[in-house]
Amino acid sequence: MNYTKQIQDIAAKLFAEGKIDVFVGYRMNGFDENQVPVLITDPQDVSKLVFTDKSVFNLVNYLKTDHTRRKRVGIVVKGCDSRSLNLMLTESQVKRENLYVVGICCEGVVDDAGEKMQNCTDCMVPDAVVSDEMLGTAVSGSGTLTYKKNADIVALAEKPLTERAAYFEEVFENCIRCNACRHSCPLCYCAKCCIDQETATLYNGANTTSAAFHALMTWSLHLAGRCVDCRNCEKACPSHLPLHLLHKQNESVIYENFQEHLAGVIPEDRGAFYKYSLKDPDDFIM
Amino acid sequence: MSFTTFVTDKAGLQKFYEAVMASRETYAPVEKFGKFDFKRVARLSECDPVSPIAKTLSIKPLFFPRTAKVMKYVATSAGTDVSEVDEDPLAVKRVILGAKHCDARSLQVLDKVYNWDYIDTDYQKRRENTVIISTRCDKADTHCFCTSLDYDVENLDALDVLVVNGADGKTYLEARTAKGEALLGETFTSDAVRVTKEEAAPEMKKQYDAFAASFRLKMDYKEVNAKLAKIFDTPEFENVSGNCVSCNTCAFVCPTCHCFKISDEKVKDTGVRYKSYDSCNNGYFTLMAGGHNPRPVKYRRWRQRAMHKFVYYKERFGENLCVGCGKCTISCPVNISIFEVVSQVSAAAGNRQ
Amino acid sequence: MEAEVKDQLVSIEKPELIAPPNWEPVIMGILCNWCSYAGSDLTGTSRIQYPPNIRIIRVPCSSRVDPWFLIKSLQTTADGVLVSGCHPGDCHYISGNYFARRRFLVTKKLLNFVGFHENRIQFSWVSAAEGPKFAKVVNKVTEDIKKLGPLHLYKKENFEKK
Repeated sequence: MNYTKQIQDIAAKLFAEGKIDVFVGYRMNGFDENQVPVLITDPQDVSKLVFTDKSVFNLVNYLKTDHTRRKRVGIVVKGCDSRSLNLMLTESQVKRENLYVVGICCEGVVDDAGEKMQNCTDCMVPDAVVSDEMLGTAVSGSGTLTYKKNADIVALAEKPLTERAAYFEEVFENCIRCNACRHSCPLCYCAKCCIDQETATLYNGANTTSAAFHALMTWSLHLAGRCVDCRNCEKACPSHLPLHLLHKQNESVIYENFQEHLAGVIPEDRGAFYKYSLKDPDDFIM
Repeated sequence: MSFTTFVTDKAGLQKFYEAVMASRETYAPVEKFGKFDFKRVARLSECDPVSPIAKTLSIKPLFFPRTAKVMKYVATSAGTDVSEVDEDPLAVKRVILGAKHCDARSLQVLDKVYNWDYIDTDYQKRRENTVIISTRCDKADTHCFCTSLDYDVENLDALDVLVVNGADGKTYLEARTAKGEALLGETFTSDAVRVTKEEAAPEMKKQYDAFAASFRLKMDYKEVNAKLAKIFDTPEFENVSGNCVSCNTCAFVCPTCHCFKISDEKVKDTGVRYKSYDSCNNGYFTLMAGGHNPRPVKYRRWRQRAMHKFVYYKERFGENLCVGCGKCTISCPVNISIFEVVSQVSAAAGNRQ
Repeated sequence: MEAEVKDQLVSIEKPELIAPPNWEPVIMGILCNWCSYAGSDLTGTSRIQYPPNIRIIRVPCSSRVDPWFLIKSLQTTADGVLVSGCHPGDCHYISGNYFARRRFLVTKKLLNFVGFHENRIQFSWVSAAEGPKFAKVVNKVTEDIKKLGPLHLYKKENFEKK
């Protein structure tokens, strides 16, 4: 998967036509295979742009920063990124007319060790669902792929309750409360997050296990039905916590019980918690 | 005062570590989820004293805890009862195994600020009661640049006991401070051979040279200090901060960042006040009561971080607030390198006088 | 000796922790104003007895219940939570309880996933006319939680059980 040339051409064309102010893409970091996101404002810099299977970070995150606000933006999105962009559009965080979206038919990206990432092997929506222009040939069967429950949560759910409790206690204990997971999430765009209260409340920034539990649980429940599984949070976590477990658990419950599609796939479709069905399961309620 | 040097082998070093663990409270890197953090250990098998630097968090939390309880309070009809909390057994003697040189150095840098206008007694006590045993790295990591900064990595005296794995298969132990000398004298077994400093020096020098030659990154910190000081208002900061996602990870893993926030955990009329880490990359970091925020946009916060590391701290205390460990770069989700950014910004300064 | 330990009440999530003698659970009851709260009133006025372990909080609608109400309760005093609202179709605000129902399921499954026993988080539909049902629900929840033992997971400072 290498769309470097095409993306450079598109960006150059857009700048020449005066359609965009800034182009969000990836560049090489200069010394090894890894890439760094880059915001290009100078048309001369478009030759820096690259796109390979190392282009991991979800760039939609940059649509919530000072550098792109109220500007016309060109952006590269993979399948999962485009779903988060779809949600941003639905939730009125960005304007479609200000965006020029280059969609990628994604064959999966690789992690630092060079292995295909777990979310890519399980991916149901490899092709970008929002785009002005698509690159690559559509991945065969995209859209008809079956939902595969994440192997990690299946394995954990089979364990006895005490073991699961001990495992997660370790997870929350190792959280250092830097909130990088929240900041790197494209869908956490609140100007003031509920876990950042400075007044005396139950929420606080303390690095205790209970505070970490409180913050991460609240965070994952706010993203339930919206998380697109791009794994930006896990990439950002300095303690390498398996944060996807919480999100995939919510996603599987929502997929199995409420809706037959994933978050952000259908345009104008808000998260699962914004709607209801009379047929929703009722058997757990007395 | 002259300090002793010992020469031993791998087994002797293990024995030394075990003797240390038996006699004092020991902290060492413990692996969890593929990342090493310094935790209390009872056995050598639980930890890895030579954990890879790219995967190890700093030792800062052992001196400046990620969260410290400041006080507890109860509101009653007669007023508020405040009780102090004494949770950290500060008087206990402890040893840190497997600290990196950059970690040890960071404490020296932090000492300046903790000994400044307000003397933080908790920090001082933790410093006094801790002996740091540090193994010199054999090879620099991709993002390391400690040899380019304003301290002598070879003769660093921030650590108490230096461990060097020589190329000849022998292990050299050298006391660097009185604390280290005392620990070595107390715990070292008879297997070890005491050598003079001169006898050990050639082999240790050889190891250091091999280590120093393995650095990918080199910079002239004096030039960076001088140039950065002149370019507070360069637009280059806006360019380099563009791809930062303000996630704050850099500050939380940094061995020298020392900003904190105070927050209360209050339920009904009882509460606990915590002091915990904060980062200048946070949007609300400089937010004042009344709503004014002097650093409302990202590039200003970014500039503050870079300038504090290489200019402001240098002006005030004569040291760079960066020890070149590369932890921020490794942890950064978008691989921003502070080295690269600082070099890039100061290069831009060179162009415009 | 073994039998003695067996008789003692342990925490289901942390079996190494034993409940103090005569331990009584605390249950947070979050009831919707229009049905369940009126239903609990009817239980009282009908002189039907139910366990005093429940502490009732009134909310306008079951969909007012943010998942973190449950988390907050479980992290402070409560050993279990009961949320109760109107029957489907009876909501005073037409569809509040349908929205709530989705959230409840996800919250319950997630809390169970990270180690809370599923019986610690319970939901019920109780209408204003169902006084006896409310008593039955509270009885069942109290019994369930008495079996599970005290909750020790992620308790906030000042609320840790000794």
